[in-house]
Amino acid sequence: MTDATTKTPAAGRTAGKNVGAIDTRKYFGTYDHRTLRVKDDHLRRVLAGQDLLLFDGAMGTQLQARGLAAGEVPELLCLTNPQQITQIHQAYVQAGSEVVTTNTFGASAPKLGDAATVEEVFSAAVACAKASGAHYVAADIGPTGSLLEPMGTLPFDDAYELFAQQVRAADAAGADLFIIETMADLAEAKAAVLAAKECSDLPIFCTMTFDEDGRTFLGTTPEVAAKTLSSLGANVVGINCSLGPKDVAPLVRRMLPWSSVPVMAQANAGLPHVEDGVTLYDIKPAEYCEAVRDMLDAGVTVIGGCCGTTPAYIAGERDLLAGRTPVARDVCRDFAVTSSQRLVSLPAGHVGVIGERINPTGKRRMKEALRSGNYDYVMQEAISQTDAGAQVLDVNAGLPEIDESATLRRLMADLQGVTNLPLQVDSAVPATIEAAVRSYPGKPIINSTNGKQETMDAVIPIAAHYGCALVALTIDEKGIPQTAEGRLEVARRIVAATDAAGIPRQDVVVDCLCMAASTDQSAPRAILDGITLVKRELPGVRTVLGVSNISFGLPFRPLVNATFLAAAFAAGLDLCIINPCQQRMMDVVNSWRVLSGEDQSAQAYVAGYAGRSDAAPATDAAAAGAAAAATPAAGASAQGQGEPAPAADDPVAQARAMVLAGRKGPMPALMHDILATHDVLFAINDVLIPALDEVGVRFEKGTFFLPQLMASAEAAKAGFNTIKEVNDASGVEVASKGAVAVCTVKGDIHDIGKNIVKMLLENYGYNVIDLGRDVEPQVVVDTVVREHLQVVGLSALMTATVPAMADTIALLREQAPWCKVIVGGAVLNPEYAKMVGADYYAKDAAESARIVGEILDQ
Amino acid sequence: MPVAPTLTSYQIEDVDRGEVLRYLGYRDQEVTPELDARLDAAIASCLAIGHARASIAVYDVAGREELPDGTPQVTLADTALTLVGKSMQRHMAGARKVGVFAVTIGMGVERELKRLSLTDHLGQVLFDAAATTMVERAADAAEATLVGMAAREGLYTNFRFSPGYGDMPMQTQPVLLDALDARRRLGITLSPTLLMTPTKSVTAVVGMFDAPQPSTHASCADCFCRAFCNLRATTGRTCHD
Repeated sequence: MTDATTKTPAAGRTAGKNVGAIDTRKYFGTYDHRTLRVKDDHLRRVLAGQDLLLFDGAMGTQLQARGLAAGEVPELLCLTNPQQITQIHQAYVQAGSEVVTTNTFGASAPKLGDAATVEEVFSAAVACAKASGAHYVAADIGPTGSLLEPMGTLPFDDAYELFAQQVRAADAAGADLFIIETMADLAEAKAAVLAAKECSDLPIFCTMTFDEDGRTFLGTTPEVAAKTLSSLGANVVGINCSLGPKDVAPLVRRMLPWSSVPVMAQANAGLPHVEDGVTLYDIKPAEYCEAVRDMLDAGVTVIGGCCGTTPAYIAGERDLLAGRTPVARDVCRDFAVTSSQRLVSLPAGHVGVIGERINPTGKRRMKEALRSGNYDYVMQEAISQTDAGAQVLDVNAGLPEIDESATLRRLMADLQGVTNLPLQVDSAVPATIEAAVRSYPGKPIINSTNGKQETMDAVIPIAAHYGCALVALTIDEKGIPQTAEGRLEVARRIVAATDAAGIPRQDVVVDCLCMAASTDQSAPRAILDGITLVKRELPGVRTVLGVSNISFGLPFRPLVNATFLAAAFAAGLDLCIINPCQQRMMDVVNSWRVLSGEDQSAQAYVAGYAGRSDAAPATDAAAAGAAAAATPAAGASAQGQGEPAPAADDPVAQARAMVLAGRKGPMPALMHDILATHDVLFAINDVLIPALDEVGVRFEKGTFFLPQLMASAEAAKAGFNTIKEVNDASGVEVASKGAVAVCTVKGDIHDIGKNIVKMLLENYGYNVIDLGRDVEPQVVVDTVVREHLQVVGLSALMTATVPAMADTIALLREQAPWCKVIVGGAVLNPEYAKMVGADYYAKDAAESARIVGEILDQ
Repeated sequence: MPVAPTLTSYQIEDVDRGEVLRYLGYRDQEVTPELDARLDAAIASCLAIGHARASIAVYDVAGREELPDGTPQVTLADTALTLVGKSMQRHMAGARKVGVFAVTIGMGVERELKRLSLTDHLGQVLFDAAATTMVERAADAAEATLVGMAAREGLYTNFRFSPGYGDMPMQTQPVLLDALDARRRLGITLSPTLLMTPTKSVTAVVGMFDAPQPSTHASCADCFCRAFCNLRATTGRTCHD
C-alpha cells in the first residue's frame, strides 16, 4: 500500500466518531499482521529486539538555553527559524544519535491555534530533522494538554482525531517512525497508538512519564503501561521524562517482563536548579550513563535522553553502546489483563474470579437500574464484588429496551471511578464490543466469541486489533456439543482462527459451557473432561466457566455450584465467573488455593479463616454491619439536636428522629419495625416525608447547614431502600411520583450541586435519571424525548459554562417544548436564569425539590 | 537568559477545620458526633491522598503598555506571559519583578472526588471542602516561597492574584501554565473552557517591589504564610523588616 490515509477503518470514517459502523470483517487478519514500513534492516532488527538504538536528547531545554522565552510555542520555530532547529538536531547527530526527534511535541491543532497548521509544522519539522543528516527521523507526538473523559472533558474520539491529523501529517512529511511520548493518561496513549496504527504503517514507539511514587499522574503503573501498550500494537514501549535515570531504572525494570516488544528509556538529567541566572540539571553525563548502563544490562534496548540532556549525554551513551549487543530477557507468558491502574495476572496453576453481578439477565434490580439510568445500584454491586475478592468484573448491559452500546460505555467509564479491577466486556453485538474496548484504558477481556464462523469473523479481529483477551464459547452452528471431544473440536477451530489472527494463546480463554445436571447427568462429566482436554490438546490457552447453570432445577443450588466449582478447579479450570459475594463460592476458591499451592504456606487462608467453623459460620460482612447498625442507641440517637429522645418502643418517632439527626445506621431496622404494623404508604407519607419536610424547614431557617441536610437525606434514603426491599419481596410496586433528569452541562465537570439535588429528589419519591457531568445538549434532549419527561434540572458552576446551559435549553425548546427547565449552580441567579431561558431558578436543592413537586404533582 | 521554573513539594500536615466548615456554609449549627467524625475522616483522607506541588518562576517587569483597544498590560522579560487588564495594572504598579506559580494537590484527589461522586454524595461534599482548604494552604506555601525569593533580593511582595478575578482574563491560563511547564511537571490540564484539572489547583501572580507594600505583612503573628516561611531561619530577617 502506498497511500497511508486510505487503508484503515478509521480513515474510512469521516469524523472518527461512528465507531460502531466499522465493518471489522473486512479487516480480518490484517490487524496483527500489520505490515510495517521499516526504513532499513537495522531498524527491523531493533524492532525485533536484536539491535540497540540511540535516540537524541532534549529539544525544549536546548531551545531555552538559546533564548526561547518561557511559554512561547517552540514548534513554530520550525517555520520561523529552521536553521536553529536543524543545528540542535545536528549537534545530536554528531554526538551519535541515530534517531532525531522532530520539534513537534505540542504541534496539535488546539495548541497551534491560528499560528500555523499541523501539516505546515510537521512538514517543516521533518525537513529540519532530515537536514541534520540523521539516520532516522522520529515524528514527535506529545499529549493534547486536555484531560480525556471520564475525568476530563475531551472525548476519546476527539483525542483520536487530533492524533490522527498529526500522524497523517508526519507520514506525508516523510518521517520514519513515531515517538508518542510523555503520556500520563493511558487512554490518551491508547488514542495516539490507535491513530498511528490505523492511519499509517510506520513503526510506533510509545513512552509514558512516571512520578516518584512509580505511577503516572493518572495512576498507571509501569507494568500496566507495558502490558496494555504492547498488546495494543506499539512496537516499542518505555519511559521518558519523569525523573533522573537512577529513579527511572527500577521502573523500567518493572516494565521489562510485561512487554512483548523492545523497551526504551529516555530519562531527564535529574531536576533543574538555577545558579547565577543559569539553569543547571543536577545529574551530569557520567552519572547519567552509569544508570543507563544498568538499564541496558537489564534488557532495555533503545535509549536517549529527555529534559536537561545535551549532546554530551548522548555522546556518553554512544560510548556505552559501542560493542554491546542486546541482553536477552524473559517475557512473562501468564494470562494478564489490565485496568488503567492495575494488572491482574494468573500464573499457571493459579485460579481467578470474575464477578458476574453486573448483568441484567434474571436480576430485577439490575434491570431496573439500567432501564432507569440510575447507576448507584450498579456501582454498589461493583464495590461489593471488588471487596469480596473478584479480580475481574464482567459488565453486561444487554437489555432490549435500552441503547446497549451507549449504556455499556457509560457504565465502563463510571466503573473506573469506583473499582480498579479490569473489566470483561460482555455483549453479543460485535459493534458494541468494539466501541467499548476501543476507548477502555486498559486491556479488557472480550466475552465472547464462539465457534460460529460469522461470530469468529466479527469478534476475533476486534480482539486482535485492540489487544484484548478473548473468551471462546464451545458452541457453534450445531449447538453445544454433548461430549468433551465435541467441545474440544469447537475450541480447536476457534484457536486456529485466533492463532492465525496473531492473538497469543494465553489471551484465549475457552469456556466449555455449563449445562444443567438435572436434565442430563452426563453433562457435568463432559464439561469437566472438556476442560482437561482443551488444556492438554491446546497448550497455552486458558479456561473459564460460569458455573451456576449446573444446578438449574435443583434445590439448594449454591451447594451444587460449590461442589462443581471444586471439581472444575481439579479438572484444570483457570477462571470462574461467579457471584463473589456468595461466601460459599469464595470458600471454595480460597480453600482450593491452599490445596493447589497457590496460597503459599496457606497464609491468606489462615488469615481469613482462623476463627471459622461450622459452629461459627461465615460472617457476611454486610450482614454483620447491618446487625450492628440494627441496634439503635436510642438514648444517644437524637443527641446533638437538643431534642428529647423518643421512646425506644415507638419506631415511628425514632425513625423521624433518625432522619432529623442524619443517622442512617438504625434506619433499616426501624423501617422493618414500622412495616410490621403499617403499610408502605404510611411509612412513606407519614414517616419519611414529614421528617424530610422538617429537614427542609430547618435548612431554610439556617438551623441546618448543607452537610446536615445531606445526612438526613442519606438516612431517609436508607429507609426508602428498606421499603423497596420489603416491597420487592412482596411483589408490590410503589408508584413513582414521576421522573426527572438532572445533569451538569457540557464543559463543566463540577457535579456536587447536581448530586445534592439528585439525592433530595430521590428522597421525595421521584425517579431521577442522572445523566452525569459534561453532558452534550443532544443527550439531554434525547432523554427527555425518549422518557417523555416533564421536567429537567441543569447545573453549571462556572461562568464559562453558562452558554452551554443556554444551548441546552434552546435545543430543548426546539425538540421538546413541553419540558420545563430548572437551573441552578454557583454562578446562577434569577437574572441569569431568565437570560438563558429557563423556566425556574432554584437557589438550592430544597427549592429544586419544591419546584419539581409543583410541576409534577399538579 | 530564561531560566527553568523551580519545582517544589510541600508537606501539608493539617488544615484549619474552621475553614473547612466555612466552605460548607457552617454557621454555628449543632452537629451530631457522627457528622463531626465524618468531617474529620474526610480531612484526614484528603491530607493522606493530596500531595502539594508547585512550579514557580520569577520574571523581571519589562514594560507597561496599552493594547490597541486601550487595555493596559504589563510585559515580562524572558516569557511570553503578559499580564493584561486594569487589575494587573493596579496590582503590579511599581513592581520590579513578578512571581508566578501554579500549585496543585494532585490527580489522586480528583480521582477520590470522582469516586465519591458515584458512591457517597455527602462524602463528596465534605472531601471537596477539605480539598479546597488544602489547595489554598498549598497556595499559601507557594506564596511563602515567593516572599522568600523576593526578600533574598531585597524586595517586598504584595499578595497573590489569580486569573479570572478582577478583569484578569482566564485566557492567561494557557501561557501561564506553559511558562511554568505545569502540564508536564504537575499534570495540570486545561479544558477548552480553560478550567484546570485537577480542579484543586491554583495559579497566581505576586508583585515584587523595592519598598514594603500596604498589603505586605506587618507581623509574623497572623501571617498565613508563617508555617511555610524559612526566611528568618535562612537570612535572620523577616519579609517586613
